[in-house]
Amino acid sequence: MTDAPGPPPRREPLPPDASASAAPPEPGPEPGPESGPGSGSGEAPGSARPYGDAQSNGTGQGAEAGRGAEAADAPAAAGDEEPPVTPAPPGAPMPSGAPGPSASPVPSVPAGVPVPPGVPVPPGVPVPPGAAVPPGTAPPGPGPGRPGQVPPPVRPGAEGAPYLLGLEPPPYAPPERVSSPYGDTPPVFAYPTHRLSPRVLLIDPVRMLPSIFLPLVGVLFFGGFSPVSFGFAALGVFGTVVYAVIRWATFTYQVAGDRLELTRQFISRSVRTIPLERVRGVDVSATPLHRLLGLVVVRIDTGASGEEAQEGELNGVTPDEAERLRGLLLRLAPVPSGAHVARPEEGGEEPVLARAPRAWLRYGPLSGAYLLTPFAVLGSAIGVLYQLTDELGVDREQAFRAYEWVRDNPVLLVCAAVLLVLLMPVAGTIMYAVFNWDFTLRSRGASLVAERGLVTRRSVSLEHRRVRGYEIVDGVLERKAKVVRLWAIVAGLGDSETRGQLLPVAPRRAALAVAELVAGPFTGELLPHPPAALRRRLFRAVAPWLAAALAGLLLRFTPLLAAGVVLALLGVPLGLDRYRQLGHGFDGTRLSVRSGSLRRAQAVVERRAVVGWTLRQTWFQRQSGVVSVIAGVGAGSGGYTALDVDTDQAVAFAAAVTPAWITPFLAPDPPSRP
Amino acid sequence: MTAVRLREPAHRLSKRAVAQWAVESVIGFVLVVGGTAIAASWIDSSRFSWLPDWLVEHVWWVPIAVGAVLLPFVVIEPVWRYAVHRWELTEDVVYARSGWFSREWVFVPVSRIQTVDKTQGWLERALGLSTLEIRTASHAGSSSIKGLDYDVAARLAEDLAVRAHELRDDAT
Repeated sequence: MTDAPGPPPRREPLPPDASASAAPPEPGPEPGPESGPGSGSGEAPGSARPYGDAQSNGTGQGAEAGRGAEAADAPAAAGDEEPPVTPAPPGAPMPSGAPGPSASPVPSVPAGVPVPPGVPVPPGVPVPPGAAVPPGTAPPGPGPGRPGQVPPPVRPGAEGAPYLLGLEPPPYAPPERVSSPYGDTPPVFAYPTHRLSPRVLLIDPVRMLPSIFLPLVGVLFFGGFSPVSFGFAALGVFGTVVYAVIRWATFTYQVAGDRLELTRQFISRSVRTIPLERVRGVDVSATPLHRLLGLVVVRIDTGASGEEAQEGELNGVTPDEAERLRGLLLRLAPVPSGAHVARPEEGGEEPVLARAPRAWLRYGPLSGAYLLTPFAVLGSAIGVLYQLTDELGVDREQAFRAYEWVRDNPVLLVCAAVLLVLLMPVAGTIMYAVFNWDFTLRSRGASLVAERGLVTRRSVSLEHRRVRGYEIVDGVLERKAKVVRLWAIVAGLGDSETRGQLLPVAPRRAALAVAELVAGPFTGELLPHPPAALRRRLFRAVAPWLAAALAGLLLRFTPLLAAGVVLALLGVPLGLDRYRQLGHGFDGTRLSVRSGSLRRAQAVVERRAVVGWTLRQTWFQRQSGVVSVIAGVGAGSGGYTALDVDTDQAVAFAAAVTPAWITPFLAPDPPSRP
Repeated sequence: MTAVRLREPAHRLSKRAVAQWAVESVIGFVLVVGGTAIAASWIDSSRFSWLPDWLVEHVWWVPIAVGAVLLPFVVIEPVWRYAVHRWELTEDVVYARSGWFSREWVFVPVSRIQTVDKTQGWLERALGLSTLEIRTASHAGSSSIKGLDYDVAARLAEDLAVRAHELRDDAT
């Protein structure tokens, strides 16, 4: 057994991290400031402020405690909230099954021996029954769960403490006395390890089951039952079962203090550690099979730029466990002093920020992507057919005959094509509806939760306080219908288009309202770009096609000539519109850039999210006196570009947003030539 | 034509950076001309039917033309780049300009820097140069300054790391 090199027991440790200092343990019954009983709910001193409402049973008090948490940034302010001191008497009711140091004469440090992060807890540490929850799990969790955070003692007579109702597991594991060869017996938090739900064992085999029937299908249709192939299929299914069992048995996860550890231990052992402060979002989804088994898949976004190794996936936990994890993981994400982190589990009311009415589903196909679904379906059907023919032993000759038959009946082919085209909008709408059914955006505690889907219900959580802006996109058809797509730009989250989705395709006004609610409004004006930008847009929309037409003329290749001319003509309105859509602006808090025509995108980003500027000027842009300004943003796509801005305007734009970074480098009035 | 109204960053790169760019552009030149020559010899020997006859007849003019067009740039690029590339570190911001035909101005506030790396390729090692890579949370806000004298780069990296640590602002 490894022993934790923590401080010896019975010492009052000062937690090393800053968050802990926000809620300093107040040892001893020192008289607090004369704040009177009115301000306080008679909380015991040293209650963990960020969760101050944990032990107050009134909702109003919860709000008050929440505000207190915000003020707790300054240690001085912390005193204001101190109620007249009634230290939790020894033996105050602790969360069930949490004996030990809470009964010690020092009331404020019931279990306060921290395990410094990084102390390995051996996998075999026995977990006391009934105490299998790490700190920060249950409502009265001790602060943001950092080891060493002081768990809130229950104030006397607080029968109403929610966790006593038995709704939640006890908040923390009592320190485990570990006898070590070094003689010292430091208490160690035994972080419970969890496994995926055993029901997950059924998923892979069930998925594989159809393959066992394929040989049987062969029996039915071709009369040639082959025991060998049946045997192989059965073997395959058996293999899947074994594999699933091994996978299940070797995988454990645990929230160990300030990190999530995913451990796979078979012969070798690999541990993936995800620091909780890196967790940017938790994504819970369920395929139909998962739903059938009452399971969900939890994916943990860490904002690691595309590195798969940094993400975590728990495939197959119960919805309750997913909810617990979601609360745990998102709440622990770094918050200055743990302020304004509401507790997701409690409160009951989750304000619905937006709910997409059914009628909006009809806008879906306008985005174009879903129009291609019939082809995708056809493609996968052909793929399946191909595999089936292989499996069923349809020989080459039969296949060729089928092909000839199709070829000799071109009418059929044309009919199929027409049908396919007619199906496009229908299938598109259906697919879209299936994916975006009952889209609901909720505010749950500190996170925004978007739920959608008919068959596979998917819910994506984002940390609200990491939202740095939004992006609003519409295509040509969508613009005609005055609908847009909207997603949040979230700090540290690269894949904002899928993970940051705030609404399905929705009417522009509704989308803007939601954007304003979630990310704040952009109140400025977009400045137009100079005429040089118009020339450049037109040139770029027309010239390539003109060149193609010219090549067609030279090569006397009429189709190329015709296509080139037509596209060049179409390029004129396109170029004009591209120019019209260009714009950039800053309203004092948020900057905004807009560009594109066939896919117009407008991004609105808070000033504080900007991490740098790049001005880029090609030789041609220099001749036209324009420059592209790229605001580097540590969120979303990483940079938002204002195309072809007038050179003076460009510098002024950057300087307006972040004066301190740009003004020192402004050229004196007669512009010096580089 | 209006110039961008930004003053030049204070410092030039090391003079040896010119040599680095020269070697790089010579290598590029050899690769492009050599590649074209190989393609030409292949066309010459296989006698493509779908190319116009006049092209196949004179296919060896292609690498020569490419070489003639590119040759001046082998000289121009290093010199031009040396004139454009500059950098500066003030209290709060790293400001750098780069490019030749195209230009790029980069402003990286020290408070948003996440990592500072200095790297050396084989050529840079031979020339005693170094590249400073300054990364922020966004690739668009990141920057690399090539062709710094090794000592300058080392000092700069050290400076930046210390200052970035002091100023670190985690709003992003």
